[in-house]
Amino acid sequence: MKLEKDDLILLYRNMVRTRKLDELTIKGLQEGKVLSFYHSGQGSEGLAVGSAACLRKDDYLWGHHRGHGIGYLIGKGLDGKAFLAEHYGKVTGSCLGISGFHFAEPEYGALGAAGTIGSQFPISLGWGLAAKKTGKQQVVLACFGDGGSNRGTLHEAFNLAAVWKLPIVWLCDNNGMAQYTPIKDTYPKDDIADLAGGYNMPGVVVDGMDIMAVYEAVEAAVDRARAGGGPSLIEAKTARYRSHSEGSPDVSHTVTRSEAEIAELKKRDPIETFKIKLLKQGVLTEEMVDQINKEADEEIIETEKFSLDSPPPEPSILNKLIYAE
Amino acid sequence: MKQTVYLMAINEALEEEIKRDEKVFIIGENVQQGTFGVTSGLVQKFGTERVMDTPLAETAVAGAAIGAAMAGFRPVADMMFADFIYIAGDEIMLKAAKWHFMHGGKVNVPVVIMAAMGGGMKIGAEHSMCPEALIMHTPGLKLAVPSTPYDAKGLLKTAIRDNNPVIFFYNKGLLGLPGEIPEEEYLIPFGQADIKREGSDVTVVAISRMVHMALEVAEKLKDKVSVEVVDPRTLEPLDIDTIVESVKKTGRVVIVDEDNRRCGVTAEISAQIFETAFDYLDAPVQRVAAADMPIAAGFLEDYVLPQPKDIEDAIERVMA
Amino acid sequence: MKLEKDQLVKFYSLMVRTRKLDNLMIEALNSGRMAGFYHAGPGEEAVGIGACTFNMRDDDYLYPHHRSHAIGFTLARGISPKGWVCRHFDKNPGEVEGPTAEERGIFGISGTIGGGFPLSLGWGITAKKNGKNQAVLSFFGDGASGRGTLHESMNMAAIWKLPIVWICENNQFGQFMPIKDAFAREDIADIAAGYNMPSAVVDGQDVLAVHEAVEVAVQKARAGDGPSLIECKTYRMRGHAEGVPDVDHVDPRSEKDKEAWRKRDPIVLFKENLIKQRILTAEEVSKIDKEADDEVAELDKYQQECPVMVPSDASILDVFLYAE
Repeated sequence: MKLEKDDLILLYRNMVRTRKLDELTIKGLQEGKVLSFYHSGQGSEGLAVGSAACLRKDDYLWGHHRGHGIGYLIGKGLDGKAFLAEHYGKVTGSCLGISGFHFAEPEYGALGAAGTIGSQFPISLGWGLAAKKTGKQQVVLACFGDGGSNRGTLHEAFNLAAVWKLPIVWLCDNNGMAQYTPIKDTYPKDDIADLAGGYNMPGVVVDGMDIMAVYEAVEAAVDRARAGGGPSLIEAKTARYRSHSEGSPDVSHTVTRSEAEIAELKKRDPIETFKIKLLKQGVLTEEMVDQINKEADEEIIETEKFSLDSPPPEPSILNKLIYAE
Repeated sequence: MKQTVYLMAINEALEEEIKRDEKVFIIGENVQQGTFGVTSGLVQKFGTERVMDTPLAETAVAGAAIGAAMAGFRPVADMMFADFIYIAGDEIMLKAAKWHFMHGGKVNVPVVIMAAMGGGMKIGAEHSMCPEALIMHTPGLKLAVPSTPYDAKGLLKTAIRDNNPVIFFYNKGLLGLPGEIPEEEYLIPFGQADIKREGSDVTVVAISRMVHMALEVAEKLKDKVSVEVVDPRTLEPLDIDTIVESVKKTGRVVIVDEDNRRCGVTAEISAQIFETAFDYLDAPVQRVAAADMPIAAGFLEDYVLPQPKDIEDAIERVMA
Repeated sequence: MKLEKDQLVKFYSLMVRTRKLDNLMIEALNSGRMAGFYHAGPGEEAVGIGACTFNMRDDDYLYPHHRSHAIGFTLARGISPKGWVCRHFDKNPGEVEGPTAEERGIFGISGTIGGGFPLSLGWGITAKKNGKNQAVLSFFGDGASGRGTLHESMNMAAIWKLPIVWICENNQFGQFMPIKDAFAREDIADIAAGYNMPSAVVDGQDVLAVHEAVEVAVQKARAGDGPSLIECKTYRMRGHAEGVPDVDHVDPRSEKDKEAWRKRDPIVLFKENLIKQRILTAEEVSKIDKEADDEVAELDKYQQECPVMVPSDASILDVFLYAE
């Protein structure tokens, strides 16, 4: 599907919103308002927003843990209120304020997030099985990082998704770092996409900092999955601008990543590069960019206020949550 | 004696054992940097062959350590969060625990699986567990749960020298806890409880971080009731004799642990006390443990995990 | 390395002895004089024997797999079969001469399929750290190829260039599940490319082909060039375990397929080859067969004379719970 002017502007807007929400969450953690962890997603907004834009609302989504998956949900149409409120431990949060940094928005096909990296593989496999059995041409967008790619669950799920021809798009956000460990020490080849061959599944590598490249690759894989063609693997090369989690050291093994190294990564910034492209194409003007940023700032203020004003959950809810009715 | 903190005591134990025995190495995700600091700084001293960073693959981390243990090494695998040992269930519960027994005593598995347990950081259901009962329930695994820098160092050194698989749970909530340790080398044998505070009215058996909570309560109540705090230090082997001796003296007992209440460590210790010291009890055993639900993150963590007030109430109940 | 005549004869003799011991177990279980499980492996002898007999040093590590309860591996490693036979009949073999399994780098077989991958990884680390050019031969079936432990272990072995030869004995059935419904590709060996690891597919009915492929991989491993994956195509002639239905999902397995594979019996193929090449005469072959029959009869008699393995004092079990 060719994207219209408005679609392109929306992609840009959603990346800006994702970045600002990320900055707000970092601020919240530094101020002690975010109660648990935050794993910033700066550098992967193009991948999140661009891939989620290919989905229907009833498609399943496992956004991986950079930015705690919010970029994908914003790309799918959600705002940041329930996300931030959850991080603030408030009852208006996505999970009533008791999940910390995990996140579930079943209405948007996001049935949960895990504390164990690699658990997305078998669970997404189950969603793919459900999608196939339901017969409504839903697809699953299952995201993982280069760190997650080392888990054995990948193999079990990739194999069965291929054997059963399930409608799953496996999307690897390869930002080159798994907590403190660089990809060169965790995988013997340059491209994780090369794993696809072992499962008779297409595997492509895209520039994850280029939202249009992401969109096109994911769209092709989603179309294939909806048509019954089975799973695909897309590896997006992205960047992680910040440390693994806020407050933890930004090191590769034990060596601090240099400012020059980070500055180099930021030259490929998905938001900046897309903005320049759209300005050049005349899709955006400087005034429109300012307006989009201003609106995003206003939204952030509102989001923060919403979370601050919300109450924490009552302890009495806990007992009701152990078993479903 | 010298001053240190809990995580440095663990770090020192690792350093001394790596130096002492060339068969010892550390393996795990990000152990070179050290997620919780317990392994930090060792790679600079001993190199990457002795402190091995791995891909994110908990099953293989545990399995590789267990395999190398059978073949003559003494690996220490760090699983990062204790919750993650579930990912390596086959390797830890079925291989490490059983292969010595299953093979008629012909194979030894001298591995240490260590991981950070415990709440207090409000980081939710999959990062806060104390899965002690899971290990204590599995024959063939030893389990150390140190509460102080002194215990942490002495028990870890013993764990590394043990010819059996030992699960060593250090507590996230105690990492910065100060304490004294001897300048010279020392070991603490497994199966020896430590009386952390002497008292005469009520015995509080407390584990890991809960020891400090119990001591805090004991101090608070000292004018009204004399509380004895017993720290088992290892749950397998469990020094039930010291606990029973204390119960014989006080006639009243409260057991405090951060794992779930149902089928938990408190249930097991309670059953053993009823079996062996029933006649000495002046009141039914009281238990303080985590509520039987996943651990809530955020503000409600405190409602799931034991709090000082819960211990106080339990003491009041046995004294009534 | 070209094999000498006596080595070829040894291959034949090992395969025949393995087959006959397998038959003993099948007979004993089906006649009710032996209890428990037995997972027979007639027709698959060439894989373990071809791989292990002349490619391994005494101090190498081996993870066998569960077909024929690893008797082929046991014999190939020069371990007496007395213990193996007695265990199946719940008898105490007493002191058995020769090396133990542990002394030949065999620490056990996992009760969970796929459990061998991470343990072998650990032995690979051990071998590398020991610095004595030891190698690890780690076997798995097509059934285990779906386990995630494969991915974690093969990936890490490749990153660290560990001296491991992963050998898949693809007999095309994981319990009742045909491999075509369980694995996404024709060749399991194809997954090796994802780990930058050399791989080969060989005819698992040809003991020499297996030997040669593994020889190359073991040399690579000892030279520090890292792991390899070898897939041996073979066929499971019997049910998953004795006494369970021999079905493909729910349907009986095709007699036509079985017949085609029976014609490719590794022992028959190798025997014909030896006779054709005038390495053995038909009489010499008969003599080897007869010796194997006698050995098996001896072993059966031996186990009958051994005491039943019921400890008079169950406390020996406590002794096994923890090492000293």
